[in-house]
Amino acid sequence: MLILSRKPGESIVIDGRITVKIIRIDGDAVKVGIEAPSTVPVHRQEVYAEIQKNNQEAMTHTEAKLPRLVAPLASVPNSKNKSDLADSPASPAPVVPKLTKPTPRK
Amino acid sequence: MNDLELMDPEKHTNEVKDLVHLPLGLLGFERVKNYVLLAKREQEPFLWFQMAEDAKHAFLVVPPHFVVTDYQPELSKEDVEFLDLIDPADAFVLNIVTLRGARNGTVNLKGPIVINRRTLIGKQVIPVNAAEYATHHPLPV
Repeated sequence: MLILSRKPGESIVIDGRITVKIIRIDGDAVKVGIEAPSTVPVHRQEVYAEIQKNNQEAMTHTEAKLPRLVAPLASVPNSKNKSDLADSPASPAPVVPKLTKPTPRK
Repeated sequence: MNDLELMDPEKHTNEVKDLVHLPLGLLGFERVKNYVLLAKREQEPFLWFQMAEDAKHAFLVVPPHFVVTDYQPELSKEDVEFLDLIDPADAFVLNIVTLRGARNGTVNLKGPIVINRRTLIGKQVIPVNAAEYATHHPLPV
C-alpha cells in the first residue's frame, strides 16, 4: 500500500482523472472530497460490502418458488406518516426517485 | 425507440422481455453487464433480472411500490449524469429480492437498480439517502 502524508486542502491525483482532496480534519474523522468521472463508481467501503454480499445471497434462478405479496407497509415501522398510511390506496403509484440536478456543462 | 416494453399494457402478454445494459454491472458482479428483464404475467408483481449470457443465473426483482409505501431514493448528481436522466419519471426503479426459506424473502431498499426507460441503460445505485433504508427489508407476505 502506498502511504502519503497530506494536509487539509492538499490533494492526490490518481491516473490523471481522479482527485482525492483532504477537506478537513475533525477529531478522529477526515472529510475527503473525491472528483472522478461518472463511469468510476465511488462508494463507502462498508456500504459497498453490504450490498455486494446481499447481491451474492440474492442470486437464484427463474424456476424458484415465489412468495405471495400482501399490501405494502411503510419502510420504517411506526414512522411519522403512520396516520396517512391508513388512507393510502391499495395500489400506490410507482416510485419516482428524486434527482439531484447535474452541474450544467460549460 | 427502445422504450421499456414492460410499460406498454398493449404488449403485456404472458411473457415480456427487455434487454437492459448495466455498463458497471451489479455490485459484486461488475463483469456481467447485460441482463434480460423478464416479466411473466402469473408472477406479477415480480420480475426477473436474468444474466443475458448465462440464463441459469437470475435475480428476482420487484418495483418497490409493491413492497413499501413511503420509498423515495434520492439519486446523486453523478448517478443522474451517468444514467442521463432528465425527467424523474424516466427512471424505472427495481429492488433485488433475496428469497429466504419457503415463500418468504427480503428486499434490498439500500441499493436499487435504476433503469432509464428511454435508453434501457441501468445502474445499481446507492442513493444519497441510503442510510434511511435497509438491505434486508421484509417482504409483505
